[in-house]
Amino acid sequence: MNRSRTPFYIVMGIIVFLYVPLLIVIINSFNMSRFGGEWGGFTLKWYGKLFNDRDVWHALSNSLIVALSTTFTSMVLGTVAAIALYRFRTFLQSVNNVFIYMPLVVPDILIGISLLLFFVALKVHLGLFTIYLAHVTFCISYVAMVVMGRLQDFNYSVMEAAMDLGASWFTAVRRIMIPILAPGIFAGGLLAFTLSIDDFVITFFVTGPGAATLPLYIYSMMKHGSPMVINALTGIFLTFTFIIIIISKKLLEEK
Amino acid sequence: MNEFLIFEGISKSFGDLKVLDNVSLSIGKGEIFSILGPSGCGKTTLLRICAGFETPDSGRVILNGKDITDFRSNKRQVNTVFQNYALFPHMTVRENISFGLQMAKVPKNQISREVDKFLDLIQMTDQADKKATKLSGGQMQRVAIARALINKPQVLLLDEPLAALDLKLRQRMLVELDWIHDEVGITFLYVTHDQGEAMSISDHIAIMNIGKIEQHGTPAAVYEAPSNSFVAAFIGDTNFFETEITKNEGSYSYLHIEEFTDIMVYNDKNFHEGSKVYLSIRPEKFTITLDKPEEHRRINMIRGVVEDIIYLGTHTTYWVRANEYLIQIRQSHDRFLLDQKIIEHGNDVWISWHADNCYMLDRYNVRDESLLTLPDDDVMESESPDPGEE
Amino acid sequence: MKERIKKRFAELLLTMPAMMWLVIFFVIPTIVIFIIAFKEGDSFGGIGREWTIRNFSELANPSYPVIMWRTIWLSVLTTVICLVLSVPSAYYLARAEKKWRDILLLLIIVPFWSNFLIRIFAWKVVLHPEGLLKQVLVFFHLASENTFLLYRSEAVLLVLVYTYLPFALLPIYAAAEKFNFSLMEAAYDLGAGRIQAFTRVYLPGIKQGLITAIMVVLIPALGSYVIPDIVGGPGGEMIGNKIAQRTFVDRNLPQASVISTLLILIVMVPLMIRLAARGRKNGDADTRGGFM
Repeated sequence: MNRSRTPFYIVMGIIVFLYVPLLIVIINSFNMSRFGGEWGGFTLKWYGKLFNDRDVWHALSNSLIVALSTTFTSMVLGTVAAIALYRFRTFLQSVNNVFIYMPLVVPDILIGISLLLFFVALKVHLGLFTIYLAHVTFCISYVAMVVMGRLQDFNYSVMEAAMDLGASWFTAVRRIMIPILAPGIFAGGLLAFTLSIDDFVITFFVTGPGAATLPLYIYSMMKHGSPMVINALTGIFLTFTFIIIIISKKLLEEK
Repeated sequence: MNEFLIFEGISKSFGDLKVLDNVSLSIGKGEIFSILGPSGCGKTTLLRICAGFETPDSGRVILNGKDITDFRSNKRQVNTVFQNYALFPHMTVRENISFGLQMAKVPKNQISREVDKFLDLIQMTDQADKKATKLSGGQMQRVAIARALINKPQVLLLDEPLAALDLKLRQRMLVELDWIHDEVGITFLYVTHDQGEAMSISDHIAIMNIGKIEQHGTPAAVYEAPSNSFVAAFIGDTNFFETEITKNEGSYSYLHIEEFTDIMVYNDKNFHEGSKVYLSIRPEKFTITLDKPEEHRRINMIRGVVEDIIYLGTHTTYWVRANEYLIQIRQSHDRFLLDQKIIEHGNDVWISWHADNCYMLDRYNVRDESLLTLPDDDVMESESPDPGEE
Repeated sequence: MKERIKKRFAELLLTMPAMMWLVIFFVIPTIVIFIIAFKEGDSFGGIGREWTIRNFSELANPSYPVIMWRTIWLSVLTTVICLVLSVPSAYYLARAEKKWRDILLLLIIVPFWSNFLIRIFAWKVVLHPEGLLKQVLVFFHLASENTFLLYRSEAVLLVLVYTYLPFALLPIYAAAEKFNFSLMEAAYDLGAGRIQAFTRVYLPGIKQGLITAIMVVLIPALGSYVIPDIVGGPGGEMIGNKIAQRTFVDRNLPQASVISTLLILIVMVPLMIRLAARGRKNGDADTRGGFM
């Protein structure tokens, strides 16, 4: 039976579809003209403007602070939750499973509005801290999902072997399970980092004055400001994303 | 001391499934004791209870006089070699072997000396710093053994350690295991479904089936004098005949089988006249001839027709049809075959055996016959090319 | 006995941290939505002290059914298009050589991981009335000078598909990768045509992936806010816009809660269907097999 070429064309079509807007933006980032429609000549001035914009740096550092704290917290919480789900089969774990599953399927905006209402009702000051709390909330599930994926392939008898040789269960987890899971945990952490840096909707709802993150800043630039600088930002963003993905792949490939 | 490791009345169920039913065993110090049985008979569960990975619902485990039933696995002086070796993949050979001593907080330089000694024992001194994932099957098994033995356990538990290896390698490792045992002198409790392994390496064997011990003793005792049809069929091959005792004469009984003349059998279990019993005769106990053998009061003989012949060089297996029975006979060729008259398909033959060489069984389950090797299964084991393990 | 207590303790130690966090910051806030819907707003845009059901009269506003309907059909259509594109793509990718497969997957993932806003912005540029695409369409007489590519529900659909396509592709690909393709050959061998084999052997074989894909596209799409906000305009409003509008523009949190409640109810429908189907399949409480 001959292989139909249709699926191949569809895949190619999808890739073109995915990249065309991005390519147009990147090309425009070097475009002298203020409007995307016509080519005004090659320039790096938008990149220059980007580097000189102090607000951008401020937003970026905020994003990094939040992302790093989120990553660390969600890595710990997500990993232990995944280990619990893997090891125990009680009613508590069924509940645990539902709780971990929910944030993955609930729309961002509901998480955002619910947290905003929660913080307002408790009169909590909105700012970087509330953003951090919100980010961890949805990142735990992603980390747990990645670690659970690694646990599927985990050979439990190495834990029994460790205990057979005199280790307590916690020692075995510390010295055997975690090192073996480490690539998965880091991949989960990387995922959390990216999701946190990238997040807009939830952050938008729970932010306060002075707590601009990079996506928030981009949004305000889009609505009222110089859109061309955003093109330059896109170029940089894509490069970084590319690098991060390659690192993540390498981590997940290690056996 | 014959009672070094004792299982007393061990029962264990998983949900509705009763996996171990009041199992009692007693194992001597320094011996190799095998538990043999088909998959699902409970042997691995018994081993895991001994290791401390499962707790029995009832019963006790006593090691060297101490009741260890409630001890957790890391507190027992027992170590396990796992079926899939369970080496720590992120550690080297050396680190794997050192692990137990590290847990026991042995000083570093002492660990180092002991590890070197064991690396030498398993002949892997050159691979000491290799990652565990980069080893071949046979190497992994040796590391697993060293990792367990270095802790000088009172008992070493081996859970089907050779199951993951191919045939040639298995044979080699079996010899090595035996050698290591002699070097180290520790009691081995060996669990397997392969009767060849169990019989060749053990001082004593226990046969298990569906949670119960069917019989235990030396390999020869179990082979030559099985106590029931399961053991008779599981170990080696045999022929079963449905019979009734017509007369007892001293230590012998006369059995009546439909359409045959009466058979004489040694009555070792003191069955009464009139009992319905099963007669079990192993294939190698027969003599097959074209001419009628000399009559003797203790020699039984039957006539039959040869239906199937499988020639294997050292011996030939014949399948002989006698009335409704298809009898399996194994004849060794201890003389130059080509000088003799060869028995062929369709020949009328006499099969004969001595009354001392067969026995009666009272516990018979017709299901056990499925364990026997039938004409379709009895194929020549071809020499498959060695994939080059090791 | 001590064994069992220690085991329980270990389980609690591992489970409680994440669970407590999620209870405090996810479960309770969701309940808070329902509570606030019944409260008065105060003049500063916060929450007042009184209880009222007046906020619900808001829903009588005739624009709501329109917006609700648009939200639902846009989300469903997005899901369908994503599935239709993903299924054959996954088929191709799962059967491709490893080298090609890795490259193509990487290419597909990179835009997916780049910033969400930037991708939407890219489309705003492309669909701009003075943008390149418009000029090309006009050149081929497919559009007039006056047509607006932006600020309509079609634009929203386009960007929705663009955004959610990788979300659909990845789980379907994961399922296709595990699929045993020799089953297709068995089908051909038994006389099935290509389409028959596709629908009767391949599709059921990747069912789990299809279901996951539907869940991760449909439900988030129902809650879309940014996409309709940037490229939708008034003609492409969805429920998410309304929630944001009530929150930030009208500064009326209780009313925002009411609309959020509405969205929760809409979202519950596919979720409940999924759980019911799962419960029927498994019979017992072990919902752990395959995380989704």
